[in-house]
Amino acid sequence: MSNLETHNLSLRFGNNDVLSDVSLSVEAGGFYAVMGPNGCGKTTLLRCLCGLLEPSSGHVSIMNRDVRSYSARQLAQTVSVVRQHASTDLEFSAFEIVLMGRNPYQHRLENESQSDWDIVEDVMRMTNTWHLRNSKPNQMSGGELQRVMLARALAQQTPIMLLDEPTSNLDISHQYEIMSLLQDFNLKQNKTILIVVHDLNLAYRYCPELILLYDHKLLYQGPIQDGLTPSRISSVFNVKASISDGNIITSSFLQRPTADI
Amino acid sequence: MSPKLKNTTSIHRFRLWPTLIVLTLLLLAASVTAALLGIAKIPSSQLLSSPIFLQLRLPRILLSILAGAALSVCGAAYQSVFRNPLTDPYVLGISSGASLGASLAILFGLQSHIWGIGLCALATALITVWIVYRIASIGNRLHTTTLLLTGVCLTFLITAVISFIMVLRQDKMDSIIFWTMGSFASASWFDIAVVAPVVLIGICVVLYFAKDLNLLLAGSETAKSLGVEVEKVKRILLFFTTLMIAFVVSSCGVIGFVGLVVPHCLRLILGPDNRRVVPCSILGGALFVLLCDTLARTVLQPSELPVGSLTALVGAPMFIYLLYKNKKKY
Repeated sequence: MSNLETHNLSLRFGNNDVLSDVSLSVEAGGFYAVMGPNGCGKTTLLRCLCGLLEPSSGHVSIMNRDVRSYSARQLAQTVSVVRQHASTDLEFSAFEIVLMGRNPYQHRLENESQSDWDIVEDVMRMTNTWHLRNSKPNQMSGGELQRVMLARALAQQTPIMLLDEPTSNLDISHQYEIMSLLQDFNLKQNKTILIVVHDLNLAYRYCPELILLYDHKLLYQGPIQDGLTPSRISSVFNVKASISDGNIITSSFLQRPTADI
Repeated sequence: MSPKLKNTTSIHRFRLWPTLIVLTLLLLAASVTAALLGIAKIPSSQLLSSPIFLQLRLPRILLSILAGAALSVCGAAYQSVFRNPLTDPYVLGISSGASLGASLAILFGLQSHIWGIGLCALATALITVWIVYRIASIGNRLHTTTLLLTGVCLTFLITAVISFIMVLRQDKMDSIIFWTMGSFASASWFDIAVVAPVVLIGICVVLYFAKDLNLLLAGSETAKSLGVEVEKVKRILLFFTTLMIAFVVSSCGVIGFVGLVVPHCLRLILGPDNRRVVPCSILGGALFVLLCDTLARTVLQPSELPVGSLTALVGAPMFIYLLYKNKKKY
């Protein structure tokens, strides 16, 4: 069953095509890496998928329903989003920020229940942010804040998660930790996960599926082993590439002049 | 549940009700003091039967309470909707916008109908909000500097227009002070009867959306992905806050900085959560304006200070302090 579909999705800002004619279909329970060079439309695709951007043409459907027919509340119970940049000027503590993830399940005048608190404690322990619960965003490092944002998305308990470079500010051990955590959620709770990553090896190791964008178009969708071939990597990312023992090794085409500047 | 969790979350819960109770007691004490103070000395035993109390002081006290509550709740709401700690109805020029409509209504001879004045004030205030919002949001983002400068310039412009109107009607020249600095001197039971229901409805609406205000602070897109109908909620909040401001301004003129001072002081005690800040702002704002008005009419007896000059004495330095504190951000 497909969980998330786009049909001929196009988006134009002024005269620039940001996405052109993207049709893809995301299977329920899939773990997809969304990849492509800078500026190829990855973030825009994610924002269209969760209804934050209205496409110029084409449409998005989630669980076989047009995304525009969802109320904000229903959508927040179905899709959670971790954005690339989190605002640091909030005065709320990390605990309160993660608690906001429970909003789609609460009535407006209702306070958080015990079960909301338990869920928040759970996800904060999983993302290794529990010790930060009383800190404010401006007291945290970029990586810590990213993990808090991930905790909030997990607290939403949605079947679909869209993550825009959630590992960009993380050190290598936290990158692995977060990817394994997502893998766990994917395997045990059958969550559908779309994640924008730049690290080819990270994607190769954790994500079975690949959505590859190039020049605002969908270049490839399918199993990552078939998608990330050395020749395709080298044409899309403009680097030399080879694969050995399941590791992607890349190097620049440009020969750096020896240091005599 | 771990004991530490209890600790984190109960800090805030503990503080709401005690704060509300303390503020209520202070407000009662301030009201009694205000009732007893004044040029005419009324012995406390005859207070309740004295016409000076019943026809002059009591409506004045009630109107200042209503105005203070409304202005500080609007301030708290604007600070979340515009995601900017420096906004309040006065700084954004919305109070001035309301005063333009009110003085136009008076120019065209509607002064005996506070409903008429109020509705004209509402019309011009809504136009002002729309202008401020449109100019300040280029693309999808609200630009802080643009927002504040737009508000300040609109205030200049509108004050100029109002002084022009006042010169046309020389017989009403006095009231320019009323429209720029505010006064409760003419408060009547009729004003209360009109302003009270409007303010009560407006405050209930803001209270109803208090949780959404918290999410709006995290940014429109984040709020939307957490289940807030952002555009709808913003529109409702802007309408009802503007409605309150229009009727408050029609009854007592422009009183600045209340919406800036009160929510900020409360956030220091209560933290940023609007479910605590908004309810306490009702009482805190009422207390602040009542105190300012009582001082305004008693310190220099028999003459009276404009109440807006007292609120500005507290509010303007605070605005500069906040600007200084936030300067890294903007």
